[in-house]
Amino acid sequence: MSSVLCPDIPNSGFSFDNCARNATLEGKGFPVPKATKTGTTIAGIIYEDGVILGADTRATEDTTVSDKNCRKIHYLASNMYCCGAGTAADTEMTTNMIASQLELHRLFTNRTVPVCTANQLLKQYLFRYQGYIGAALVLGGVDNTGPHLYSIYPHGSTDKLPYTTMGSGSLAAMAVFESRWKPGLTEEEGKKLVRDAIAAGIFNDLGSGSNVDLCVIRKGSVEYLRTYEEANKKGKRQSSYRYPPGTTAILSTKTANIEVHDVSIQRIDTDLLMDTTS
Amino acid sequence: MFSRAPVLVENYAPSSGPQDWMSAPHSTGTSIMAAEFDGGVVIGADSRTTTGAYIANRVTDKLTKVTDNIYCCRSGSAADTQAIADIVSYHLNFHAMELGEKPLVSIGAAVFRELCYNYRDSLMAGILVAGWDKRNGGQVYSVPIGGMCVRQPVSIGGSGSSYVYGYVDANFKQGMAKEECVNFITNTLSLAMARDGSSGGVVRLGIITEEGIERRVILGNELPKFYEG
Amino acid sequence: MSILSYNGSAMVAMKGKNCVAIATDKRFGIQAQTISMDFPKVFQMGPHLFIGLPGLATDTQTVMEKLRFRKNLYELKENRHITPTVFASLVSNMLYEKRFGPFFVEPVIAGLDSKTGEPFVCNMDLIGCPNAPEDFVVGGTASAQLYGMCESLWEPDLGPDDLFETISQALINAFDRDAISGWGATVYIIEKDKITTKELKTRMD
Repeated sequence: MSSVLCPDIPNSGFSFDNCARNATLEGKGFPVPKATKTGTTIAGIIYEDGVILGADTRATEDTTVSDKNCRKIHYLASNMYCCGAGTAADTEMTTNMIASQLELHRLFTNRTVPVCTANQLLKQYLFRYQGYIGAALVLGGVDNTGPHLYSIYPHGSTDKLPYTTMGSGSLAAMAVFESRWKPGLTEEEGKKLVRDAIAAGIFNDLGSGSNVDLCVIRKGSVEYLRTYEEANKKGKRQSSYRYPPGTTAILSTKTANIEVHDVSIQRIDTDLLMDTTS
Repeated sequence: MFSRAPVLVENYAPSSGPQDWMSAPHSTGTSIMAAEFDGGVVIGADSRTTTGAYIANRVTDKLTKVTDNIYCCRSGSAADTQAIADIVSYHLNFHAMELGEKPLVSIGAAVFRELCYNYRDSLMAGILVAGWDKRNGGQVYSVPIGGMCVRQPVSIGGSGSSYVYGYVDANFKQGMAKEECVNFITNTLSLAMARDGSSGGVVRLGIITEEGIERRVILGNELPKFYEG
Repeated sequence: MSILSYNGSAMVAMKGKNCVAIATDKRFGIQAQTISMDFPKVFQMGPHLFIGLPGLATDTQTVMEKLRFRKNLYELKENRHITPTVFASLVSNMLYEKRFGPFFVEPVIAGLDSKTGEPFVCNMDLIGCPNAPEDFVVGGTASAQLYGMCESLWEPDLGPDDLFETISQALINAFDRDAISGWGATVYIIEKDKITTKELKTRMD
């Protein structure tokens, strides 16, 4: 039972409570503001013994760079990662939710989850929302049947490819792949190629920028190379802009002390923790 | 930026937002084709997937397996046709388990029609269903946008098809030999791909007979050449 | 015009050495008309945890109440204070629930982890995409100006006093170039053993 004083515990799933109000506001000339987009360059290739994923690290809100070093390669499972482009919240939340479904699936089946399962979960979820969840993904992973790479579009269509790019910088990145990708690249060649593709996006696409992140997925091991290359270094400050204390005029100051009543530390043997990640 | 072209459709002009599909032109993309021959069916398709003017995939496989003996050729929205094919595949394989034998092609086509008709307002899918069963041999069914279903000895679909109706009418013969039929399909698709901007790449073929399917690929440089001005 | 700039606001949070600060303006207006000069937009959600909710004022209050409810529920269930990172996920999930009919707020969160004392700042877009950088976060109608100010003023490992001057000057000089925010400012400096709240003297035009 709910009342004004005791509200209901919220239900799970999307809520459409505000839709009518927001539509009214839209009618009065206040359109729903734009959410953070990752006007991105993301890419992935299959090489000799696995998959390499790459991404830039810029997030934008309209023309403002809202995050200069954001993480676009999302964890799905220990053998699978997923690059996200499009609406930042959608890629983040979608990959998080699928990651938890995959972990439950792994515990239930006691097997490494195949990459095609993640692909199917993602495409069915996105298809259900008919493109309104704006997540464009590059899914890569290695399972018992070898390396796999998928590109997944917001409407729920997928392509299985040996090399793929997505996001606003996808054309620049694809130009690099089309000229230089070949079957059986070594890991070094592969990393260089993906770096060059992402760099092409960073420097030629306005929606992409900052650094290159890479993620190398081999059979049995993953190497997440966060900030593989700092493609754009911030300039050194020539002098200090620090204000001397007392610069700001203060009307009043109030200090609330936080009293620490009791400190108790309970040590936990980390070896005994239930580990569900391996 | 990226979000302006969220609609991935196979060889189909883009719309700028999820709402625009209603006003979007309902021309189905692609060049796809299926024809009966003496002993089975041959199916064929180009390999181009576009988002607007950009080729999102140049090696697409639009010949999708439904069961061992039934395949479909997809045209229209990639997302819609993949989802439909997955659902039909689920239903038919379930049906096959209950039946204890391979499902009839006509039943496969009926399931496609059921989905395409019931969801005709929200789907953009033009599908050719083709396969072989021991009751009726090789068969081709066309399930165009709107959810009609009709059996035809030869059928073409997608935006490229409008360029080659005449060629098909002039050259199709009932009861061709296998290789003759394969050549007929290769020629037709090559002509369609040459004229239609939203079709191209390689020609993918599937020959479905009692023995199952035989897949072939004809690369861009191996395609038959016709008058090119 | 965007509904996010209907009432006007400016907000910023910065990391320092073993401390964080969050600063906000105090204006509440309806477009160009100033209604109030002591409108609260930053709320305390724990001993070391604050959230600022710049955006549409009606949603500032609604979201604050909903968050307080969920936070209380969490603390009753878990019998411990909520950490800034967990609270950020809570906010993010609540906003994303309304993905297709959002609240018009872009939260700014600042806090210290009560166990480790680790500084934490985070902001989100209106549908809850979290962004937790190493330096500072901004929000509100003066966010473009604030980005510029913070990008040049902020430096790593500022002590509480230097952090106060930095964040105050960043905020004041930013909202002086924004017509619909300002009219007084409040700065909260969060340290392990105390919260210092300072009201700033600013232009009132």
